[in-house]
Amino acid sequence: MKRWLKLVAGAAAITLATAGCAGSGGGDNASGSGGTGTGTLTVWLMTGSAPESLTGALNKEFEAAHAGVKVDYQIQQWNGIQQKLTTALAGDNPPDVIEVGNTQTPAFAADSVLEDLTSSVNDLNGAQWLAGLKASGEYDGKTYGVPFYAANREVLYRKDMFAAAGITAPPTSNAEWLADITKLKAKFGSDPQFQPLYLPGQYWYSLLSFIWDNGGDIAKADGKSFKSTLDSAGSKAGLEFYKQLVDTSGTTAPKDNDEANPQQAGIYGGGKVAMMIGTPGEVATAAKTDPSIAGKTGAFAIPGKTAGQPAPVFLGGSNLVVPINSKNKDLAKAYLKLLSGDKYMTQMAAAGYVPGTSSDVSALDKDPLGAVMAKASKSGRAVPTSPKWGEVESGQNPLKDMLTAYLTGKKTVDQATADANAALDKIIGG
Amino acid sequence: MTATKEMPTPAGATPPASARVSPPKPRRRGGFGERLTPYLLILPALVAVLVLLGWPTIQMLLISLRRLDLRELVTGKMVWIGLANYTDTLSDPEFWSVTIRTILFTAALVAATLVVALLIAVLMRHLNPVIRICVQVSLVLAWAVPVIATTTVFQWIFDQQYGILNKTLDKLGFHSFIGYSWFSTGGSTLTVIGLLVLWQAVPFVAFTLYAGLIGVPREQYEAAGIDGAGPFQTFRAVSWPAIRPILTMVTFLSVLWDFNMFGQVWAIRQGGPDGQSTTLAILQYLKGIAGSHFGSAAAIATIMLVLLLAVTARYVQLLVRTKDGEIA
Repeated sequence: MKRWLKLVAGAAAITLATAGCAGSGGGDNASGSGGTGTGTLTVWLMTGSAPESLTGALNKEFEAAHAGVKVDYQIQQWNGIQQKLTTALAGDNPPDVIEVGNTQTPAFAADSVLEDLTSSVNDLNGAQWLAGLKASGEYDGKTYGVPFYAANREVLYRKDMFAAAGITAPPTSNAEWLADITKLKAKFGSDPQFQPLYLPGQYWYSLLSFIWDNGGDIAKADGKSFKSTLDSAGSKAGLEFYKQLVDTSGTTAPKDNDEANPQQAGIYGGGKVAMMIGTPGEVATAAKTDPSIAGKTGAFAIPGKTAGQPAPVFLGGSNLVVPINSKNKDLAKAYLKLLSGDKYMTQMAAAGYVPGTSSDVSALDKDPLGAVMAKASKSGRAVPTSPKWGEVESGQNPLKDMLTAYLTGKKTVDQATADANAALDKIIGG
Repeated sequence: MTATKEMPTPAGATPPASARVSPPKPRRRGGFGERLTPYLLILPALVAVLVLLGWPTIQMLLISLRRLDLRELVTGKMVWIGLANYTDTLSDPEFWSVTIRTILFTAALVAATLVVALLIAVLMRHLNPVIRICVQVSLVLAWAVPVIATTTVFQWIFDQQYGILNKTLDKLGFHSFIGYSWFSTGGSTLTVIGLLVLWQAVPFVAFTLYAGLIGVPREQYEAAGIDGAGPFQTFRAVSWPAIRPILTMVTFLSVLWDFNMFGQVWAIRQGGPDGQSTTLAILQYLKGIAGSHFGSAAAIATIMLVLLLAVTARYVQLLVRTKDGEIA
């Protein structure tokens, strides 16, 4: 009897807690732009983004340049970040600079909880911004997010296995890729655990590459409204190629789960996989299982239909934003200016990321895996900049359902794409 | 659900109750302070209930009448939209399919829990002590493992490639189960979730019913045996009346738990595939947390509350009517 009351009360209490913040948060929006002098600048960056050596130097330099200002630097975890950001942004005294995932940015921008940074773009190295990220920080013609860094996927492969199978150069087209998978299977196929390409069924970031390569897209923007286009011929062709890869490889990866469940780097680290689609950072994860694997791993860009023209890639990454309720907006902008300069962007590149506000990727090019990623990032693309896109990723993703239904043969390609199109329209359409 | 059928004549089932009511208690006329004492004693509990349960519930009702998205949350604007959240929710065909699914799923789960638990309880009564203790320890262990830990174990059991279930079925000769995906349709996903919930819900109900069964004096069974009653007849005539009140209670508890269950469903497949294992609790999460539409989420919560009240009205009625909380 009391249990449901408790549950309802619990749910209500959460809502209440957030609503309570809202009640006090309103009213004094105008007060933000005042202070340039003393105070504390609160900065939230995500775990695993900028290395400690960078942030340490950056904060020191900033404090030295602004006498009396202290930087309160905090590292946030990705897990549960959406709720934490919602609460923080709604608060009376939010952080002043926040790192926000690029797919989350439009939702916050559209809800007018971020400071309009359009007039500061030129101060922040605007000419060199990474195109794919730049779009994710814009809403309704205004700029709310400053590109911070990006990472994108490439094909990570075992150089030793390729050599043993007689493959001299990495594939540059879909056809060559499939042929190489067959060659690897012929060479190592006697081991039932061997997989030429590990490809889980719901790896929709990879699917995006094939959809874009075939001229399709997730959705079409028309002003502020979006119309999903997953039922286009290009999308269908992309989906069909995905199935071809899965079938040719005979991958034993689950068709009803994604690359994080189980974590694909762990499987690759097991040594029975010749290729996986991933970011260079995943090699470090694989090396936890087998330290020798890093030296054996090479990378090539995700091949496209046409030889020599790699498929476009999904740019994952982060933007930097200033909450509209921030009390230190001018200081926050000064901080952004320092961080977006070449000095620190070069350090981001050296840390293995595609820098967001600098086109200089020479530091990244020193690492062979990083060089492939940096090159592919030029053709990087983003998910639709719909404010409702966050709901797609944090809720039930129609692209994942589409993949599973088609790969397991539950639906035809027409049925799967039509259903996913309708489901996606329900979330982001209109 | 099942138990509502069994209780058209609650009065007849417990004749002794009437005897207790008849002599009117002599009312002692104490001083003002003495009469006030009970109320003062109950006051802290009452305040706690009002602050912790009453106020949030009122807030929830109020929020369900507002448009409260991230924008309103941050700017602190109050946007009253009347019943729009309710009309939007109720006119969404998806809401109705989810509601029907939730009700059927809850009914099936509660029925299965009660049947399995009752069988185990009766079984425990007939086992020799050593084996009974083994069964009881196993039940307690199944019950004691945290929900998400068990969920993870179940996910691995039913895993497409590495799951022990598919491997076992293959070894037993059902070769079509190699690489079989248990989570590719809503029906089989819900079945797996159902088994998982059953695994965790049965121990409590079984122990509760077993407690009721051992409360029956041995002599009654001996008497039934002397009268020539078979095992089934003995169960109906002796065990059943003893455990019926307990059965009613655990039925309602199970309804409440299963109807509001969130963790297991979300952890298994986030209500997928294609939203086919989405229950009302999942829908509420999708609206509220994933979509930041706190107003519509509050509306769904209110509707769930009303639905639960409707289903459990009979229980509440019985609870209020019987003086010492004894339920027939």
